[in-house]
Amino acid sequence: MRIERIHNGIVLDHIKAGVGIKILGLFPTDMLKSKIDYASYIESPRLGMKDIIKIENLDVDPKTLTKLALISPSITISIIRNGQVKEKIKPELPPVVEGVITCNNPKCITLKEKYLTSKFKVWLEDSKVRQQCLYCEHIAKSS
Amino acid sequence: MHQFQGRHIIDTADLTTEEVMFLIETADRIEAMGPAARDLCKGKILATLFWEPSTRTRLSFEAAMYRLGGNVIGFSEAMSSSVSKGETLADTIQTVALYSDIIAMRHPGEGSALAASMSSRVPIINGGDGAHLHPTQTLGDCYTLIMEKGRLKGLKVGFLGDLLFGRTVHTLVRLLARFGVELHFFAPEGLNIPDYVRDSLVKAGATFTEQTELDARLPELDVLYVTRIQKERFFSEEEYLRKKNSYSITRETLEKAKDDILILHPLPRNEEIAMEVDPTPNAGYFRQAEYGLKMRMALISLCLGVLS
Ligand SMILES: [Zn+2]
Repeated sequence: MRIERIHNGIVLDHIKAGVGIKILGLFPTDMLKSKIDYASYIESPRLGMKDIIKIENLDVDPKTLTKLALISPSITISIIRNGQVKEKIKPELPPVVEGVITCNNPKCITLKEKYLTSKFKVWLEDSKVRQQCLYCEHIAKSS
Repeated sequence: MHQFQGRHIIDTADLTTEEVMFLIETADRIEAMGPAARDLCKGKILATLFWEPSTRTRLSFEAAMYRLGGNVIGFSEAMSSSVSKGETLADTIQTVALYSDIIAMRHPGEGSALAASMSSRVPIINGGDGAHLHPTQTLGDCYTLIMEKGRLKGLKVGFLGDLLFGRTVHTLVRLLARFGVELHFFAPEGLNIPDYVRDSLVKAGATFTEQTELDARLPELDVLYVTRIQKERFFSEEEYLRKKNSYSITRETLEKAKDDILILHPLPRNEEIAMEVDPTPNAGYFRQAEYGLKMRMALISLCLGVLS
């Protein structure tokens, strides 16, 4: 698959192979009335295999950056303006993430009491993201 | 000096080993005070908020407060209270904190005690949050071991039964590991300690073994902590009946063990310990419930600041 250059928008690169589809799911559908290029399992000198996504006329907010890093810690985001790379972002995994993740322990108090803001301790283990709910201590593993 | 006044008791992991020892000393101190302890909490109110029933734990908290001369308010069924009308945990806690000086709670939501402490101006004592933590049971058990065995370091403690779902065991073993207790687990296939407990024991450098059969190691044990085995954890009735017997304690079991082996159980028991064991000096489970009560008296007194 050929990935075309974009004029304005974002390029999500160095995505862990196969999880690009999960990343596309992060963007609400109304934001996606734009041209998207999505390539999966392409060769990368750094990662072996990677996914890459280009979306035209789209921006990312800080909360989305955190979500992107949680799904694929290796991700890089380039902001493209007038055909030029305006900014290249390598989002950091913050030690504690608030209000972004939902606990996957069905008995967790944060699911029942909606006023509570979820809080997770986040760290990397064997280059996989681990997240621990600070309420119920349930540990979830993602990519 | 240890600062407990105004503090919430959510998780034993929040306590240093020195603080745990201080709690045990305080329980002893209250015992030594005799009748004078009956005035310690005069004029104070404990609220027991039990969103899920646990008669034993609730009675233990209430008896502890009455023995300290205080009063008790509370509910034990969420169905009959405003909670069933959709009130948030934060609102319930904020309101009850206006009526009381300290709150003991049990709630099925895991992490609920921590969440409650964020909305409370009075100390919250976690009386069990789902299958997560049960610190007052753990501290009472720790007190039992010290009183009955005189030490923790080097003690060989066995845990028998369903160790996968038994939250009492999960919190207790992590605390005991910090005190240098040797841990031995005996559970049916598939019901051994969960991975996260095993991981934390490995990380803590604890000495522990895991096996399905009790027999080989039984003669070395100083203490055997027995837990309930529930029928619904097994594939079939036959399997349950077959396994049940190898995880229950009789006088015959005691004959193969050290003379002074201490048998504990968080209660209530089903058939894991035969009643014929009750009259032996090895049966520590009722004394254990008494130590639990004393520990709750110590926690209430310290968190209220009537002792320091
Ligand atoms: Zn949780």
